[in-house]
Amino acid sequence: MSKPLILLHQEALRRTHPVFDAAPAETKAIYVWDDAFFKDANYSLKRLVFVYETLCELPVDIIRGGTLETVLQLAPSLLYIPAANNPLLISLIDSIKKEVPAKIVEDEPFVTLQRKTEFRRFFQYWNKAEKTAFLLDGSEDA
Amino acid sequence: MTSTLQTCFDDRDSLIAYVKKLAPWADGAASQIQGGRLKAEMRLAAINPIKYGGSRNFGDGHVTRLSPYIHHGVLSLNEVRNHALSQCSQPVQITKFIQELAWRDFWQLVLRAHPHWAWADVEPYKTGFSAQDYADALPADIAEGKTGVACLDAFINELIETGYIHNHARMYLASYVVHYRRVKWQAGARWFLQHLLDGDIASNNLSWQWVASTFSNKPYIFNLENVERYFGKLVDTSPALNQPLHATYETLQLGLFPNLGMTL
Ligand SMILES: Cc1cc2nc3c(=O)[nH]c(=O)nc-3n(C[C@H](O)[C@H](O)[C@H](O)COP(=O)(O)OP(=O)(O)OC[C@H]3O[C@@H](n4cnc5c(N)ncnc54)[C@H](O)[C@@H]3O)c2cc1C
Repeated sequence: MSKPLILLHQEALRRTHPVFDAAPAETKAIYVWDDAFFKDANYSLKRLVFVYETLCELPVDIIRGGTLETVLQLAPSLLYIPAANNPLLISLIDSIKKEVPAKIVEDEPFVTLQRKTEFRRFFQYWNKAEKTAFLLDGSEDA
Repeated sequence: MTSTLQTCFDDRDSLIAYVKKLAPWADGAASQIQGGRLKAEMRLAAINPIKYGGSRNFGDGHVTRLSPYIHHGVLSLNEVRNHALSQCSQPVQITKFIQELAWRDFWQLVLRAHPHWAWADVEPYKTGFSAQDYADALPADIAEGKTGVACLDAFINELIETGYIHNHARMYLASYVVHYRRVKWQAGARWFLQHLLDGDIASNNLSWQWVASTFSNKPYIFNLENVERYFGKLVDTSPALNQPLHATYETLQLGLFPNLGMTL
C-alpha cells in the first residue's frame, strides 16, 4: 500500500520546517539529487557541496534521479512539499502536482500582513509589515 | 528501483570528492563556508544585531553571514528575528537588522506575485539608454576577476572562492557590470547565481534590477572614495590601480549617462 512522503527541496533544508508537522508522524522524507535541475540552474561546485553537507545532517534519503520520475516511481499516497520561491522549483512542483496528490506547506511567516497587497517599493511593504516585524513569530498572538 | 546516496563521510574532503563525482560538470572548488544546521546555529549564536545597525555598510562591520543558511531554509527568517529580539532590551535597538531581514521577505513576496520579473525588466532603464544598448553577455575579464580594477578584482575573487561577498561589494560589482560596462543586468545576475552560496532568484535578480534602475527610481553608482571609506582597510583602493572609479559623482554621472545630463 502506498504511503505519504515528504519531498524536501533546496529552499527548505531544516527539520523544523512546518512540512514535517503537516505530514503524519514517521512520514519518510526524501530529497531528489536532480542533475538536470542543477545543470539547468548552472550551480558551481561550492553550491552543490553546501547543499549536500546540509542534507547529510537531515533525516532524509537522498535519491539520485529526475525529480518527477522518482516521485512517480515511489507513488506516494500524498506528497508533502514545502512551498518554494524559485520559479524553476515552482514549475517542477507544478509538474508533480499534475501527476501525484500533493499538499504544499508554507514556511513560518516573518510578518502578519492583514490584506494581500501589491508592493512595488520596499517602503510600501514596510509600512504594513513594521507593526508585526518586531514581535515574536511576527504575530500579535505569539 | 531508486537507490539512496551516501550521507556519512570520514571527513569533509571525502564528502567533497563524492559530490565532485556526482557532478563532474560543476565548476570550481568547494568553499570554506560549510553547510548544515550545526554551523548555522553557531553563526546565529554569534550575531550582534545591536552593533549591526551602525556598522553593516563596512566591509568589516557586524554583518551576520547567515544568508546561505537562510536561503536554503536551514534557518527561517522568523527564528533569526526571534533570536535577535532575545539579544536586545528594546526592539528599537535592532531596527536596522529587522529591516534588512524584511528586505528578504519583501523580495520573496514580490517574486511570488510576479514570477516573470525574475528575468524580465520590471521597468525601463532610467539611464538614458534602452535595454538594447546593453550587451547580452558578461565579458570574460569580469567573470575571471581580471578587470584591472584592483578593488573589484578582489571582490570577484572572493565571490569565486568563497561564494559570499558583502552587500556593498555586491552593489559595487552590479553597478560596475551594468553602468560602467553597459552589460544587461540579467548576465550579471546569472553569474552571481552560479557562485553565491545564498544565490536566490528573488533577492539576487530584484537587487540587480534595483541597481540597474529597472526596479528603482534611479541607477545606483559609486566611486573610489566610497569604496575607500567602507573597504579601505580590506582591499587596494589606490587611485593608480582603480582608475575608472577615481572620479567625482558629477564626472561619473556625465560619463556614464551622457544622455541624461545632470538630472539624477
Ligand atoms: C546585486 C545584489 C545581489 C544580491 N544577491 C543576493 C542573493 O542572491 N541572495 C541573498 O540572500 N541576498 C542577496 N543580496 C542581498 C544582500 O546583499 C545579502 O542578503 C547579504 O549581503 C547577505 O549577507 P549577510 O547574511 O551577512 O547579511 P546581513 O546584513 O547580516 O543580513 C541578515 C540577513 O538579512 C537578509 N538581507 C540583508 N540584506 C538584504 C538585502 N538587501 N536584500 C535581501 N535580503 C537581505 C539576508 O537574508 C541576510 O542573511 C544581493 C544584493 C545585491 C545588491
